[in-house]
Amino acid sequence: MFDAPPKKLVEVSGLKMHFPIHAGLLQRRVGEVRAVDDVSFDIFEGETLGLVGESGCGKSTCGRAILRLYDITAGSIRIDGEEIGQTSQHALRPRRPKMQMVFQDPQASLNPRMSVARIIGEPLDEHTDLSRPQKLERIYELMDAVGLNRNFANRYPHEFSGGQRQRIGIARALALNPKFIVCDEPIAALDVSIQAQVVNLLEDLQDRFGLTYLFISHDLSMVRHIADRVAVMYLGKVAELAPRDALYATPLHPYTQALLSAVPEPDPSIENRRTHIILTGDVPSPANPPQGCNFCTRCPKVMEMCHHLDPVMREVQPGHFVACHLHDPEHAKTAGQTAAPEATKSIQQGD
Amino acid sequence: MKLRHALMGAACTLALAPAAFAERGSDGQVNIIYWQAPSTMNPYLSGGTKELEAASLVLEPLARYNQDGSMVPWLVESIPTVENGGVSADLTSITWKLKPGLKWADGSPVTSKDVKFSWEYCTAEGGGCAQSEKYNDVANVETPDELTVIVRFSVPKPFPYGPFVGAQAPILQAAQFAECMGPKAPECTDANFYPQGTGPFTVSDFRPNDVIQLIANPNYRDPAKPAFATVTFKGGGDATAAGRSVLETGEFDYAWNLQLAPDVLAGMQAAGKGEIISGFGTLVERIMVNFTDPSPDLGDRRATVDHPHPFLTDIAVRKALSMAIDRELLTEIGYGDAGRPTCNVLPAPEIYKSSANDACLVQDIEGAKKVLDDAGWVPGADGVRVKDGVRLSLLFQSSTNAVRQDFQALIKQWWSEIGVETELRNIDASVFFGGDPGSPDTFQKFFADVEMYANNFDGTDPEAYMANWECSQIPSPETQWQGNNMPRYCSDEYDALVAEMATTGDINERARLAKSMNDMLMQDYAIIPLVDRGRVSAHSNTLGGVVLNTWDSELWNAADWYRIK
Amino acid sequence: MFTYTIRRLLIAIPTLLFISLIIFMVVTLAPSDPTANLPLSIPSEVRAQIRASLGLDEPIWVRYLLWLRQFFWYEPLHMLDSAFGWSLATPDMQRILSWQTRSPVADLIVQRMPQTLWVVGTSYVVGVLIALPIGIISAYRQYSWFDQVGTFVSMVGFSVPTFFTGVLLIVVFSVQLGWFPSIYDTTHQVRDFGSFLFQVKQMIMPVAVLALYNAAQISRFMRASMLDNLNQDYVRTARAKGMSERVVVLVHVLRNSMIPVVTVIALGVPTVFGGAIITEQVFKVNGLGQLLIIAIQGGDVPTVQTLTFIFAVLIVLFNLIADILYGLLDPRIRYD
Repeated sequence: MFDAPPKKLVEVSGLKMHFPIHAGLLQRRVGEVRAVDDVSFDIFEGETLGLVGESGCGKSTCGRAILRLYDITAGSIRIDGEEIGQTSQHALRPRRPKMQMVFQDPQASLNPRMSVARIIGEPLDEHTDLSRPQKLERIYELMDAVGLNRNFANRYPHEFSGGQRQRIGIARALALNPKFIVCDEPIAALDVSIQAQVVNLLEDLQDRFGLTYLFISHDLSMVRHIADRVAVMYLGKVAELAPRDALYATPLHPYTQALLSAVPEPDPSIENRRTHIILTGDVPSPANPPQGCNFCTRCPKVMEMCHHLDPVMREVQPGHFVACHLHDPEHAKTAGQTAAPEATKSIQQGD
Repeated sequence: MKLRHALMGAACTLALAPAAFAERGSDGQVNIIYWQAPSTMNPYLSGGTKELEAASLVLEPLARYNQDGSMVPWLVESIPTVENGGVSADLTSITWKLKPGLKWADGSPVTSKDVKFSWEYCTAEGGGCAQSEKYNDVANVETPDELTVIVRFSVPKPFPYGPFVGAQAPILQAAQFAECMGPKAPECTDANFYPQGTGPFTVSDFRPNDVIQLIANPNYRDPAKPAFATVTFKGGGDATAAGRSVLETGEFDYAWNLQLAPDVLAGMQAAGKGEIISGFGTLVERIMVNFTDPSPDLGDRRATVDHPHPFLTDIAVRKALSMAIDRELLTEIGYGDAGRPTCNVLPAPEIYKSSANDACLVQDIEGAKKVLDDAGWVPGADGVRVKDGVRLSLLFQSSTNAVRQDFQALIKQWWSEIGVETELRNIDASVFFGGDPGSPDTFQKFFADVEMYANNFDGTDPEAYMANWECSQIPSPETQWQGNNMPRYCSDEYDALVAEMATTGDINERARLAKSMNDMLMQDYAIIPLVDRGRVSAHSNTLGGVVLNTWDSELWNAADWYRIK
Repeated sequence: MFTYTIRRLLIAIPTLLFISLIIFMVVTLAPSDPTANLPLSIPSEVRAQIRASLGLDEPIWVRYLLWLRQFFWYEPLHMLDSAFGWSLATPDMQRILSWQTRSPVADLIVQRMPQTLWVVGTSYVVGVLIALPIGIISAYRQYSWFDQVGTFVSMVGFSVPTFFTGVLLIVVFSVQLGWFPSIYDTTHQVRDFGSFLFQVKQMIMPVAVLALYNAAQISRFMRASMLDNLNQDYVRTARAKGMSERVVVLVHVLRNSMIPVVTVIALGVPTVFGGAIITEQVFKVNGLGQLLIIAIQGGDVPTVQTLTFIFAVLIVLFNLIADILYGLLDPRIRYD
């Protein structure tokens, strides 16, 4: 998968993002929402890392935290060799051009009172000293690059369709030649017919500008299309991280298995034969995660130890990491027997 | 009271002493606050007390009443009487002699023409003159010379001092108002706001319902007066604020009509900046008893003499209602020093005051019960007295006013003790006292069993006031509910007394007649008097010469005011 | 935008005529009597004469039409006459006269305008100037001590009636300390620094009372609007762009938040002209609010009718202004 000497562009380790909960008369801090709880992964230059999970699992928070749109609780984030985990927002600003974000809701993420030219050009005012004509030239260039008509430069966001707005959002993100872009569900708010266009645009831009993406999505098939590697998050933690094909072919974590089994199959004959793994119960509150393994409350293969011990992330195959006691060598003897047939079954399903 | 009189006397002498030496305008500015703001300076166009009093700084009558209620000559040499030949023996004419040399503020002379004009102005058709009653029965006003005015009446007038007497009927300058007769009266805004007068001050800036600035009249008849060069007459706000501005902050020198709770006033006076003054006139808070049936079932004829009241026609009930009331307590709660309990509807002046009814001053619940028992009203199961199926259940109405609602609550309690059930009702004053024949809630329609309000009369002569309770004064649909006989009291004997008074000139005889009319009303319990309400005002410690006058404008002697240094 | 404005103005004409009819009916049919406040010693025949001289014996529709003619035809002519020295109005064109003062209502209004604009207008400006920064900071530092104090003060300003705060200030600053006059002098003219200082002194308390009330309302509005926008994605976008915090708050958030606030401020302007009935009464400012309340108490129908109608005109006008402002400020709204 990654035979070229991989250069790590983004290194995230032990990232925690906890939001305090205040309650009571005096608004005392009574707990915290562990939106992201000890997440570590790397993203190699030029690759796309897909980050998938259910709504509320913390994947968007994780993306924002990496870009330091939040002040993180703990952990280290290195982008292009620079540690930004604890850098102040002020000191961070000059580094922002390197890392950008494309947001989920193209309507809401564009200031309604700014014209397209201003939206795209504003970062140029802040971070470059281009002259006005140069800036305008750059704006047109970017609009061309994302496939927007130059004549629309003075229009306002509400005058565009959803797909066009997302193009504006992408053009804006590209304005300062970033290396790394977090795409936070960039297509979730778009019509299906437009989704492919935008994804293709992203891929196209990646090729042209050598971009690195963190592609956050709940749409497994779209991730499969665009991502090189995929990380699966559950309740603020990464459950499994693997190269795309390996993950889709042999999901190891029961949660990943369940997720993949939920992806509908276009061919009805196959679809009818598939067994769906139905997870029961609700996702526990991230304010009060279960003891031991996060997934123990819903896991179809839960074991006694899952309730006590939080599994650690292990590389079970080259580049394939999973956090599950089933794949813990110390328990493989007992757990393997049950896990193995499931795994094989999943592989077959994945085909 | 004795002390107050003594103080007033002292103030009077003080007022005279420096005035003799002072120069006009030497005391600078005086600030007066009326919490109701005057809307015009022409008292003929507004009958309101605030306008009358503001105008009295500028406009003057021929004669007015002093603090004792005695008539004093003002623009005339003397008060005409039958004795001095000023009033004709047949009581149909009165001859006034103006003081010579009087000038209007603009320097032109005051003549008898101006006096005659004032009568013509107020009686002109379509002018809506608020004081036209003062000129009732005036057949003509003759001006044989510049200084002589003869008023001829169409009927004998035993009390011929209506026209041109008191703050209500001052003299206007003919030259200024000549174009403002009748329907044109309201169009003369300048004349109405800046009238030429003979009084100590003249208007320099008039802002309706806000503030009036006056300066000393350069042509005032006494060259040494007034002591103040300028007057600021501020209006608006409320009685508390007005009292505060004189008694606590000292921003103002004189505050009018401080109808405040006795303890509030005392607290303000404790600040030591000013003094509270009070005096009594003829204002009596009273309960009117309805002799007619106000039941809505009677349709158009409700509260008319066609239908006598089912139980208030029984004198025992009326008497018991009166006996059950503790007038001392009401006075203490509602008015403090500014009120005194009274058993007369005609409490003053002194010669008209009857003492025949003073028993009512003491509350007598047991007596009231006995009166009702004797009359056959026996308590029912719910404690309310009944006789022949008629329950003693009353609707008691009054205008909306904190003190009146307190009174209503207290009286309801006392009446319940004697077995009379009372339902209370209060109506906004502008509706209650408004004469709108379309409204069912006016005090004239009296669609209730008893009602409470206060009333008085101008000046010192009670003739017109006592005539209020003639049979012909009963409001009814035929009279568009106009008329002042709210109880619908009707007695031939009473009407005879009214007629007799109208032709009697002798003051002692008039007093006897007025007293007997008062006693008749009281002993018939047609009216239940409660409190004789005084006037409370305040002046700062540095303002001298103030003499509170309840018979005329409070500012009647502003020419004598001065600054205590 | 222009055609829109013209269209709205045209629509306003029937609206205002209808409003004037409603006001007239309400004011006229309400049980009140211009002679009700006169002493009871004035007999009822005289009262009837007074009412007749006020035109009260005319049928109701005659009075309404007369008022319409006076308001829309005679009064403008008289105004032009006095402004340019013309003589368009003939003497039979009777102006609208107040029943209480028997003087033209328009003159009364002109006379009352200065103190109302001085006091109520200043308080509105001061209120807005205080409210905006408080609202912005409260929202930006939501739940901080500043926000908590701001919330508390707003709540106090909003819920404590002005007749209480007004009297409290008078008792403290006029009665106890003697710093400021308790009674406003409407005749005072500013000529030099000393008289200006006096003007400031007499304005401080009423302005403070009203400004607190206005600021309480507007700051809550500003805060809510800021909060709405602070959590919007485009703000995150701006931060992600690497905009400075100042630019994010003042350019992105504030400008968007101001749209509804500007509208609210514009809609509040007519209330300035309406005066502040209670505060004016407490401090004896005797402006338009006091004029209105005195007229209501005195059953002065022409004054009440004219004043209320002018307020209605102002409200309609400022609604239009607010709508136009909205269109100018928010590119998403276009009226053409």
